[in-house]
This record gives sequence, structure tokens and C-alpha cells, in this order.
Amino acid sequence: MSRGGANRSGPARAALGIAGLLLFLCAWQAIGYYRLAGLSWPPLTDVIALLADPERWPLLGRALSATLAAMTAGYLLGIVLGLGAAVGAHMFPIAHPGTDRLAAVVNSIPSIALGPVFIVFLSRESTAAAIAAAHAAFIIYVAASSGLAAASRGHRDLLVVLGASRLSRLRHLDLPASLPSLSTGLKLAVPAALIGTIIGEWFGAPRGLGVLIVNAMQNFQIALLWSVVVLIASTSLALYSALSLLERACYARFA
Amino acid sequence: MTAAIHVDRARKTFDLGKGKSVEALAGVSLEVRPGEFVAIIGPSGCGKSTILRLIGSLEEPTAGTVTIDGRPPRELAGAHRLGVAFQDHALLPWLSVWQNVTLPLQVAGVKPDDAKIAALIRLVGLEGFEKARPRQLSGGMRQRAAIARALVLGPEVLLLDEPFAALDAVTRRYMNIELQRIWTESRITTLLVTHGVDEALFLADRIVVMSGRPGRIIENLDIDFPRPRMPALMRTPAFHALYDHLADLLEPAAAENEPVAGGGES
Repeated sequence: MSRGGANRSGPARAALGIAGLLLFLCAWQAIGYYRLAGLSWPPLTDVIALLADPERWPLLGRALSATLAAMTAGYLLGIVLGLGAAVGAHMFPIAHPGTDRLAAVVNSIPSIALGPVFIVFLSRESTAAAIAAAHAAFIIYVAASSGLAAASRGHRDLLVVLGASRLSRLRHLDLPASLPSLSTGLKLAVPAALIGTIIGEWFGAPRGLGVLIVNAMQNFQIALLWSVVVLIASTSLALYSALSLLERACYARFA
Repeated sequence: MTAAIHVDRARKTFDLGKGKSVEALAGVSLEVRPGEFVAIIGPSGCGKSTILRLIGSLEEPTAGTVTIDGRPPRELAGAHRLGVAFQDHALLPWLSVWQNVTLPLQVAGVKPDDAKIAALIRLVGLEGFEKARPRQLSGGMRQRAAIARALVLGPEVLLLDEPFAALDAVTRRYMNIELQRIWTESRITTLLVTHGVDEALFLADRIVVMSGRPGRIIENLDIDFPRPRMPALMRTPAFHALYDHLADLLEPAAAENEPVAGGGES
């Protein structure tokens, strides 16, 4: 029995990946060029041409920076909320089941339903960041909670015998031991926060990639619509990859 | 004279759920004098580790009392006066040897005295490996780091739970010689749990033999080989005679214990 791709060497795997990607891009181009999927599927070259057009850069740049700013604010707030709730529940076990349930309930509300509430409650400008924060907070809460429970029994026993206080156990054992799991949460929370930001922007933010998507769609600017989607996807991938490096470092050091 | 460790008719029952329970200790009494090195030997599952966990404040007895200098173990642990080394070295993987050894001081809020730490690391033979992480060390070196960590607080009681059980025979023998040397310099009240008869004989002032299960003490044997003890001791007829005596004691207990279902040491 062959184990297929799993056994291939690094360069061979990379070559396969590149071949797959090229195939995907060629198919995209062909479908767009021959209008196989109708008018709303532009050829790849149109999208690239638009993204490469310096006249479009100010528009795209303003939208991208607005979205990144809202996403970053929401992401950081999500870290504070998610990590804070997880540490709180860890330190006060009596609150743990309740916190778990609250997090699950909040997460089960579709963010599209939260949007109008945030607009009324906060403002159009901060709704994007608020939804991003809600998305990120849940993921980080789950990751941090499981991470804080990750220390081995031997290590826990050691700190009991050493007479460690709850706070010192948190500082010396549970927090460092949670970092691998937490770093995975930080990574997964990035795309979630970005989605939250874009959904939030649909509720009438002054600018941002989400706004651009809605405008392009309503004015049938198909190439612009796809360009924005490509921009969002690449931003998400880039941030995700950067945090994968952090994750790898955390696993190497703390696991 | 007050006993450093006083275990009085301690019983321990573990609840297995669904109304079932298992008796790990059936009324065990044990006294360890200040500065005495006592080894507990017995078959797997005889409750010897449970005794150690009671003294280390990791478990509470179901009945009976466990005290250290008349106080509950929790107080001594809270005052950072206990040293411990487990079979699993329990070094924190993200800390260097130096940081692992100083961890008990950090927990106790004591400022580490660099010269003292360096001396301790030299004592366990890890000089030059201060910056190494546990995963870069061999099994024997990890256990030596764990021993140094157990000693760093200058504890009143040292608890050793099969600290060398995971090592190969040669390393283990070497570690016993090292531990003997280190202990002779400090003379801390020490309780060693092991199933190595030779290890117990070489290290201890007194050997307590347990049978299981439920665990009870079946023999209390003073070992008066003079200190410091040299490896040559292990080749003397007196050593072998005691070895055979203890091995005989363990034999029927081990055979009888075998069919009992359920987990190992607890």
C-alpha cells in the first residue's frame, strides 16, 4: 500500500502544489474568457489588470486600511475578552460551566443578526470592530480554556507540593502551558475577525472592503467585486501564515 | 523527640464511582525521625505512592492522620518546606535547567542566590548544562535536575517517588551512588518509594515493606550499614543476605497481587 503524497519529499510536494494552483488559475481564466459561467465570472486577467492599475490603488488602499484598522481593533478586543474570560473561569472554577455556556450561546447567534443591534447600540463606525471582536473572542476563549487545562498532572502535583498559590500556578505553569493552544486560537481568530469586520461593514460603515463589495455588486462592477474578494482572501492568507509561524514557535518552545 | 513525619492509622479509599471503591491503604502507621532516610518497598499497587502523596499534601487520608512535626502536610507545603522528585521528572519543558532548578524559589517568592544555585547544579553534576532545556538532556540528567530542584529550598522533608524507575540499570545504579553522596551532605528527612530492593538497601536507614492490596506494612527493617556508603557495599555478603530476605518478603505478595484488576501505583 502506497501512502501517496504524504511520503513525498519537500520539493516534490511544492511542485505538486504549484501545479495545482496553476491549474486552478488557468481554469478561472478559461471559464471567464469563454463566458462559461455567464457575465458575472470575469477572466482572471481582468481582475489582475484592475488590481495592477495604479489609478485604483487609492480606492483599494483606503478600503483596505479601514478594514485592517477595524479588524485589528476587534481582534485585540477579542483577545482581551476571550483570554480574560478563560483566565477568569480558570481561576474561579465555580464560574466555569456558566462561562462556557454563555460563550456558546453568544457564538450561536448569527453575527448578521447582531449587526443591527450593534449599530443601534454602538455606531456605524464601530459595528465592524464589534462583530470582529465577537468572532475572535469566542475562538480565543475556547483555545485559551483548553490550553489552561493542558498542564500535566505531574506538573500540577509539583506545584502543589511546592506550595504555589493559585496566582503563581497560573503564572508559572498554566499560562505557559496554554501558549501552544492559545497560539492556534490566535491564528484561527484572524480569518474569523476579518469575516466579522466585512459583515460589520455591510451595515453601513463609511469605508472598507465590505463597503466596496456592496457598492461593486450594486453597480455591477464585476471586475472590482472580484478584485476586492481576491484582496480579502490574500490579506487573510498572509495574516494566517504569519500567525502560523508564531504558532510553530510556541509549539516548539512550550509543548 | 517529635517525629518529623507521623502517619497514624492512615486509611485511603478511592471512590471508583457507581458505588464501587478500592481501599489503597488499610490503616498504615509509620514514623520517620528527623534526618532519617526511610525507603518504602512493595509490589505495584500496594499503596506506597499513596503514602507519599498523603505526606506531600496531594491527597487527604480517608481516616487517620498524617502530620509533619505535628502539623498537617498542607502547612509545610504552603510554607515551601517540602522537596519532591517524581518518577516523571516533571521539569517544565519551556524552562532551562537553571530556571527549572530555581522554580521553587520563584514560587516561594525568594530571591535566588546565584552562587548557591550554581553550587547545587555542580552538586548534581550538571555544570555546563545550565542553559540546556530538558529535552536536550538524557534521562539521567533530567532526574538529576529534578533532584537539584527538590533540594533548592533546603526542605525539611524530601519525598522521592521512584525517581530513577524510568532509567536504565547502569544509570540508575550511578544515580543511587550520586544520591547517596548528596544526601549524606544534607541529611534531610527523606522518604523514598521504590520497588528496587538494592536501591532501598543502598540508600536507606530503614526499609518499610508493604503488601497489597489494600496496602499494609508487613516489615520494618533497620539498615545499619555505615555511611558514607560505597558501591563496594553492594557486593558484600551482608548486603546480599538482606537483599534475599526482602526479595522473599515481596515474592508472595507480588504473586497474590497480580490478578487484581485496576490501575497501577496510586
